[in-house]
Amino acid sequence: MSILQTKKLTIKFGGLTAVNEVDFSLESGHIVGIIGPNGAGKTTFINLIAGLHTPTSGSVFLDGEDITAMKPHKRARIGIGRTFQLIHPLENLSLVENVMNGFLFAQDFSVPKARKAAVLLCEELGLSRLERPTSQMNILEIKKMELAKALAVNPKILFLDEMMAGLNSDESLEMISLVQKVTRSKNLAVGVVEHVMGVIKQLTHSVVVLDGGEVIAQGKYEDVVKNERVQSAYLGGGA
Amino acid sequence: MKKTLNRTFLIIGVLLLAAPLFMGPYAQSVARSVLMYLMLAISWNMLVSSGQLSFGIAGFFGLGGYASTLAIVYLGMPPILSLVFAFILVGAAAWLLGLVALRLRGMYFAISTLALAEIFRVIIHNWHGFTGGPNGKLLPKLIFDGASVPTYLLMAVLAAGTIAFSMWFRRSKFHFAVTSIRDNEIAAMSTGINIYKTLLMVFAVTSAVQGLVGASFANMYGFVTPESSFNMNYTLLPLAMTLLGGLYTTWGPVLGAVLLGIVGEYLKLYIPYGHLIVYGIIIVLVILFMPNGIVGLSGKLLNGFEARKKGEVQL
Ligand SMILES: Nc1ncnc2c1ncn2[C@@H]1O[C@H](COP(=O)(O)OP(=O)(O)OP(=O)(O)O)[C@@H](O)[C@H]1O
Ligand SMILES: [Mg+2]
Repeated sequence: MSILQTKKLTIKFGGLTAVNEVDFSLESGHIVGIIGPNGAGKTTFINLIAGLHTPTSGSVFLDGEDITAMKPHKRARIGIGRTFQLIHPLENLSLVENVMNGFLFAQDFSVPKARKAAVLLCEELGLSRLERPTSQMNILEIKKMELAKALAVNPKILFLDEMMAGLNSDESLEMISLVQKVTRSKNLAVGVVEHVMGVIKQLTHSVVVLDGGEVIAQGKYEDVVKNERVQSAYLGGGA
Repeated sequence: MKKTLNRTFLIIGVLLLAAPLFMGPYAQSVARSVLMYLMLAISWNMLVSSGQLSFGIAGFFGLGGYASTLAIVYLGMPPILSLVFAFILVGAAAWLLGLVALRLRGMYFAISTLALAEIFRVIIHNWHGFTGGPNGKLLPKLIFDGASVPTYLLMAVLAAGTIAFSMWFRRSKFHFAVTSIRDNEIAAMSTGINIYKTLLMVFAVTSAVQGLVGASFANMYGFVTPESSFNMNYTLLPLAMTLLGGLYTTWGPVLGAVLLGIVGEYLKLYIPYGHLIVYGIIIVLVILFMPNGIVGLSGKLLNGFEARKKGEVQL
C-alpha cells in the first residue's frame, strides 16, 4: 500500500509547465530516486508535496487523505519531512536548536523534552558539539543537520533534495548508509533527488525520471537507464 | 556566567523597587519615565526578534491612553481596571489589524504599522464628540491621586512583569519560532511552525503592552491629546534604546532605556530637544560600529573570556 500518492499533479508558472500531470507514489520502507536533467521539475515537485506551491491542477494524498489544500506547517505536522537543495540552516539558532524545531512544533514537545530528543537524534546521526552555531559547521555536518531537522518532525515520508551535492565520495557513502539506516529503523517512505547516478543506483529501490515536468520513465534503475527516452533526455544530455 | 548575570539583574530589580526610599520626587519621575520606555523597548524587541519591524509603537501607546481615559470619563471605570481594559482593547485591535498587516513583510509591514498609528491619530483628532478632538480629554484625577511613591511602584511592578515576560519568552517555544521566522520562513514552516499565528500572537501581546504603557502614562499625567499621546518619540526612543542596548535580548532594551532615559533627561535640561539630536547620533553610531549593541558586545567579550579559560581557540 502506498502512503503518498499524487494524481495528475500539475503546476504552471505563467507559460511554463514545471510539473505536468505527474502520478507518483511512495511506500513505507522504500527509497525512490527522482532524477532528471536540470530544470526537469524535481524540486518543484517536492515543493508541491511539501505545500510550498499550490498546484494548478491534480491532487496529493497522504494515507488516502486529500492534502492538496493543506498548509506547509500542517504537512510537517502530519509527517512530511524534507531537506532543501539550497540549504537553509537557521543561523541564529545553534546546531541542537535547529534540530529541536521539529520536535517542538511538529510534535508539540516541551522545550526540555525537545532538547533531549534532539540530542539523541544528533548522536544517532553522528553529530557532536551540539551547542555550536551553524557557522562553525562543515558541509557534511550541515547536511546531517538538515537530515536531522527533517527527521525531527517524525516524518512518515521524507524527501531529500540533492543531499549529496558538495560532499566527497567518502562523505557521500556515509550519508548513503545513514539514509538507509534511518529508512529501515523508522520505516520511512523516501524520495531522493540526486544527480550522481552512482548514488541513485546504490541507494534506491526504484527510479522515476522527470523531463520537462513529465514522468518519462519509471522502474528499476537498471531498466530505466536503458530506456531510450531517458538516454536522450538525461544521460545523453551531458551525464 | 549567565547565572551570575541573572542574579545581578535580580538585585538591580529589588533595588528598583526599593528606590523610592532613596529618591526625591523628581528622580522618581525620571525613573518612571525610564521604566515606561523600558517596557516599550522590550515589547518592540520581542516583535523585531521575528524580523518584523514595527513603527507603530506610538499608535498603540496613544490608543491605550485614550482607551483608558475614555473608559474612566464615560464609564467611571477605576483607574487600575482601565489599565487592564486598555491592555485588552489594544491587544484585540492589534490582533484584528495584524490579520491584514501580517500578510505583509519587510518594508511593507513596517510602513503599514506607521500608517496605522497615523490613522488612529487622525480618527481621534476628528471625532470631537467622543474623544475631545484636538483638545483631548482631561481625567477627573490622577492615578493614586498623584501620589508619587505608589505611582512609581506601579510602574516598577509593570516593568518587572514585562521583563519577566520577556525572559520567559526567550526560553519558551516562542524564542525558537520567532528566531526561525527571522532566519528563514520556508525552513521555519517546514518544521511545523505556524508563522502567521505566531506573528499574530506576538504582535497582539506586544502591542497590548504598549497600550498598557500608554494608559499608565495618561493616568500619571491626567490628560490625553492627539499630539502628545501619539507623539513619534514613543516610537523612536524605544527603537534607539533597543539598538543601543542590544537587539534580541531582554537586557539590551533595559540597559538602553536606563542609559538613554537618564542621558536624555539631563540633555533636556540644557538644550531643549537636544536629546533628540543625541538619540539620532547614537542610532547611527550604534548601527555602524556596534550592530549587536552593548549586550552583544559584552556577550562577545564574556564568551571570549570563557573560551580562553577553557583553552579553546578564538577566531
Ligand atoms: N517559483 C517559480 N516561479 C517560476 N518558475 C519556477 C519557479 N520554480 C521553479 N521554476 C521553474 O520550473 C522549472 C523546474 O525547476 P526545478 O527547480 O523544479 O528543477 P529541478 O529539476 O529541481 O532542477 P535542478 O536539477 O537544477 O535542481 C525550471 O524551469 C524553473 O526555472
Ligand atoms: Mg532542484
